[in-house]
Amino acid sequence: MSDEEHHFESKADAGASKTYPQQAGTIRKNGYIVIKGRPCKVVEVSTSKTGKHGHAKCHFVAIDIFNGKKLEDIVPSSHNCDVPHVNRTDYQLIDISEDGFVSLLTETGGTKDDLRLPTDEALLVQIKDGFAEGKDLVVSVMSSMGEEQICALKDIGPK
Amino acid sequence: MEGQQYQGELLAYLQSTMRAIEAACTSIQMHTNPAAAEATILSLSRSPQPYKACKFIMENSQLANARFQAAGALRDAAIREWSFLSSDDRNNLINFCLNFVFQHAGSPEGYVQAKVSSVAAQLLKRGWLEFSVSEKERFFYQVNQAILGSHGLQVQFVSINFLESLVSEFSPTTSSAMGLPREFIEQCRKSIELDYLKVFYCWTRDAALGVAARIIESDSGTDEVKVCTAALRFMLQIMTWEFRYSSNSVKNINIFSDAIRPDNTLLNRTECIVVQPGPAWREVLLSSGHAIWLVKLYSALRQKFSRDGFWIDCPIAVAARKVILQFCSLAGTVFPSDGGRLHEHHLLQLLSGVIKWIDPPDAVSKEIESGKSSSELLDGCRALYAMATVTTPSTFDKLLKSMRPYGTLMLFSNLMCEVLKVLMTKESDEETWSWEARDILLDTWTAILTTSSGSSENATLPPEGVHAAASVFLLIVESELKGACASVFNDDSASDYLHASISAMDERLASYALIARAATDVTVPLLTSLFNDRLSRLHQGRGIVDPTETMEELYSLLLLIGHVIADEGEGETPLVPNAIQRHFLDYVEAEKHPVVVLSSSVIRFAEQSLDPEARSSIFSPRLMEAIIWFLARWALSYLMSPEEYKEANHDSGLGSTNQIQSYGSKGIILKFFSEYGNGKTVLDIIVRVCATTLLSYPGENFLQGLTCCQLLHALVRQKNICVHLVELESWRDLGHTFANEKILFMLNASHQKSLAQTFILSTAGVKNSDTANQYVRNVTSHMTTYLAELCDKRDLRSIAEQPDIILLVTCLLERLRGAAGACEPRIQKSLYEMGLSVLKAILVLLEIYKHESAVVYLLLKFVVDWVDGQITHLEAQETSIVVDFCMRLLQLYSSLNIGKISLSTSSALLSDAETDKCKDLRALLQLLSGLCSKDLVDFSSDSSDTPTTNISQVVFYGLHIVTPLISLELLKYPKLCHDYFSLLSHMLEVYPEMVGQLNGEAFTRVLQTLDFGLHHQDVDVVSMCLRALKALASYHYKETTCGRPGLGSQASSGSHPTGELKGGILSQFLRSLLHLLLFENYSSDLVGVAADALFPLILCEQGLYQTLGNELIQGQVNPNFRSRLSNAFYALTSANQLSSTLDRINCQRFRKNLTAFLIEVRGFMRTM
Repeated sequence: MSDEEHHFESKADAGASKTYPQQAGTIRKNGYIVIKGRPCKVVEVSTSKTGKHGHAKCHFVAIDIFNGKKLEDIVPSSHNCDVPHVNRTDYQLIDISEDGFVSLLTETGGTKDDLRLPTDEALLVQIKDGFAEGKDLVVSVMSSMGEEQICALKDIGPK
Repeated sequence: MEGQQYQGELLAYLQSTMRAIEAACTSIQMHTNPAAAEATILSLSRSPQPYKACKFIMENSQLANARFQAAGALRDAAIREWSFLSSDDRNNLINFCLNFVFQHAGSPEGYVQAKVSSVAAQLLKRGWLEFSVSEKERFFYQVNQAILGSHGLQVQFVSINFLESLVSEFSPTTSSAMGLPREFIEQCRKSIELDYLKVFYCWTRDAALGVAARIIESDSGTDEVKVCTAALRFMLQIMTWEFRYSSNSVKNINIFSDAIRPDNTLLNRTECIVVQPGPAWREVLLSSGHAIWLVKLYSALRQKFSRDGFWIDCPIAVAARKVILQFCSLAGTVFPSDGGRLHEHHLLQLLSGVIKWIDPPDAVSKEIESGKSSSELLDGCRALYAMATVTTPSTFDKLLKSMRPYGTLMLFSNLMCEVLKVLMTKESDEETWSWEARDILLDTWTAILTTSSGSSENATLPPEGVHAAASVFLLIVESELKGACASVFNDDSASDYLHASISAMDERLASYALIARAATDVTVPLLTSLFNDRLSRLHQGRGIVDPTETMEELYSLLLLIGHVIADEGEGETPLVPNAIQRHFLDYVEAEKHPVVVLSSSVIRFAEQSLDPEARSSIFSPRLMEAIIWFLARWALSYLMSPEEYKEANHDSGLGSTNQIQSYGSKGIILKFFSEYGNGKTVLDIIVRVCATTLLSYPGENFLQGLTCCQLLHALVRQKNICVHLVELESWRDLGHTFANEKILFMLNASHQKSLAQTFILSTAGVKNSDTANQYVRNVTSHMTTYLAELCDKRDLRSIAEQPDIILLVTCLLERLRGAAGACEPRIQKSLYEMGLSVLKAILVLLEIYKHESAVVYLLLKFVVDWVDGQITHLEAQETSIVVDFCMRLLQLYSSLNIGKISLSTSSALLSDAETDKCKDLRALLQLLSGLCSKDLVDFSSDSSDTPTTNISQVVFYGLHIVTPLISLELLKYPKLCHDYFSLLSHMLEVYPEMVGQLNGEAFTRVLQTLDFGLHHQDVDVVSMCLRALKALASYHYKETTCGRPGLGSQASSGSHPTGELKGGILSQFLRSLLHLLLFENYSSDLVGVAADALFPLILCEQGLYQTLGNELIQGQVNPNFRSRLSNAFYALTSANQLSSTLDRINCQRFRKNLTAFLIEVRGFMRTM
């Protein structure tokens, strides 16, 4: 599927539990929205009217926060949209395995081993090098609607 | 023998060069390896003294392109080497080009001729100030001979073209870049304007006279037409010259003024530049019957070619019409002060020609509709516009009366009506000639109605004018309504178009309003009856017919009425328009006053929107937008006007008739809507309408934006309205809903911010300051309480991420921002408390929402706004609390963000993250700048014994925290870069002494940044850095001469006079600044600032300066240049009695010296 593929769909089927209804008119750029059952970040909002003397409607362009694909939606601005609950947790990075999976230290002292680093080669090298140098790295894991992914990385100084 | 051999070698060399260039030209054309070809051509123009080769190619090459490139190369080389060429060489080059042009006048490759003659023009200009008068005479003698026609038509043509490129070279806007200072260009321009333009004009005029006679007599003669066109074009060029020196008035009048501000030139659609050549031109342009000749020429040609329909758009016809237009715009001291008689006569002559283009309007428009070109009509409209611009309305009207039984205004309004009629028959989205004609004619109206600017806008309009305005306005309204009806159903695509054309629409409405105001007696009642008619149509058809068309008509009418009866008040309170003040003097009863009647109709209509049933059937969001817009505009001029307030207080003892006489009809209207009349009732209606749009139009962002940002702001801007506003129950209800009801949290967050601000601003109407502060506490308590409670919750971390909580926090922060931004001295105390009570919460939230960039930004922005409002009022202890908090905020932000990388898979999200970071950093920099202002303005009542915070230390510390977050990548964002450098240079300029106290790391960072800034592309950034550098160096110099350490040991290279690597920072800057000035590209605007920085640097580092200068001088191979350079260096530090003190006079002398120095040496330092 290409990045440019657009999806127009009315809300309603966002079956996932972790969403909240919110009036379309209040959703701004940089906010979150569910389009086609996917949690997205809004990158563009424009409003127009249905006919000259009709009601306002919002046109959202948003990007899937997990796979980076672009989605679009048009909703009357007084109607509700689903807004996903996006959760972020920080973990300390313990290890990076050969196949790109990471080992993270949880708050309770256990480990979490089911996440992989982004596949971008340059970035991966940078992270691995930093880790090898003994830098203390913290990763942020973003989760929403039953999916999770590493979204950020922070260097909190040498060990 | 040797000579011959040399000749042979030279010839071979020239031929091989020619072949190389020809090959390159061909390869460019065939597009085979163009880069290499360009390099070949460039190498020719870069080689020293390539003139022989260039001339050889120009004379011998069979390839036109090669001749063209050779001419270009000749130009580049000559301009570059100009200062070393002997005066013979210079003369030869110009003569060569001129002769080349004349000899090849008949050549079919016109572009080569044009290039060569432009080269000649450029070289002539380059040497203009050095050539003696007789040298110039010699050049121009040849040109004159050619123009007289003694060498045939072809030569005549090319010589006129040569003059054209010469004049355009001398006009600063069209000249080509030669890297010369502005003074040079200005001197050239002055010289040519005073000494040559008129001469050139006469030559071409005579040429035109000659050929024109032959064109009219004979049937053939394409060459004559060509020459005549060129001559006319050249005359036009001179007529559009911006005369500066020969006329006394400097500015060119470019009027459009709307009734209030005559300086408002924004709204001008058609350009009309008034030509003001001054008295010296009177003989040439006026006395010689030149204008009448021109008009006759055009008529004769028109007659002769009347069979060819296309002739109207031929170059010669276009050029002739344009010259006639320029003659129409002639004004100023070129006319003698004979009470305007000659001017009138002159315009009359022109009008007698122009009138054939436009009269009778209906016949002309019919011809155009059946296929004739519209350009004559359009030029006719432009001519009217020009005439209206340079005359008074009554003179304008009188012009035609000598030819026709009616005046010009009559013809003009007939023409306008005709155009509007045609326009109505057209589809609205097609741009046709009638659009253009309408716009020009509207501008003409504006010119007529505002010539006697501002004070008496239509006092001089003759009665015919008033009548004409009324009939035109009638048609305008008709066509607008028709357009409205037609546009109702073409929505989607049209709505985009509409947004783009909103400003165009505004301009148009403003001109309509001017016309309407010229005939208020007719137009205001007309608008009232139309409005009421549409209203009753709406009500009658309710539920039966589709109301959309009527709604759209009402929408247009509301916009029109708003423009007609009230002025826009950008930034100031508008008055009731003069036209309305001066008319309707015979109405004594306010209820019957037409403006009152009209306003009341609209307000009553607005009131109907309060009824839910009517709202759902009639009041569409779009219609409400027009109503809100109207109320905002109207309220500023009419509602409880402070003028009336004053008058009422003053004149309470006088009879009411007396008051009416002194204040005209304005008094009656203002009294009607004052607090003593119906003001309070109307205000109540407005507030309730506002509440309705906010509560009953969910999701209509645009409408709600208008309500919050325009209407409500318009109300609270006036203190006397606020007094009554805070008393109103409807206002209290709205406030209560704002604080307690969920529904207003559904508004767009920025509108909530604006609402909060509005509520705080309305405290201006509360009399007592304690009550005002209490009012503020009441408004803001829900925001602070909620945030504080939220932060105390134990499960904060988990609930904070819920979307509804994020939305709520966002809204509350926006509201807090709004409140903080409305800070006034009187309520500063309560707003300080408001901020204080959320400081802890802000730090907590900053940590909790570290991944939620939108919330982080709002948190930072709230602090920025709050600190901005508070800082100057704070007492010492409060200051230290605020400053401590800011530092904790900076540290926390830095610890949360430093070293953080976003790993999103989407490039759009990555770049968004970057933008967010940039916005955050800007906010932090703004916070620091806000703190800085404490040192400049301080209203606190501190006695000297309380310990004060050292603001400069704090800000330097803050910069130290922020700087590591700003990467070079981020400095590519221009706004951030600008903010950063302006803060940094401000700090260095004001507190240079602090720099010496910085620790090593901070010190190096500051200097690296400065060095980066010096080489930035943005002129502003560079000049800020230069100013900082100046401050540092001057401080150091002044301190060290007094025996103090100045910037400390790192700064100077005192102990290493020759040490190049161990040199202090000032020596590094001296080096890099010299390098910048001599070898790099920069704007010439920077030279002054650079001089200010260079001078103290030289004084600090004299030893190094000597060394550097010597290195540069030794580096020159050419002995000629070497001596020039060393002389220039000597002059730089010794000319103009420069001494080694850093006072103002010395700095100015050094500025002069540096400018001279750069002019002298930069040319060869950079190219060799």
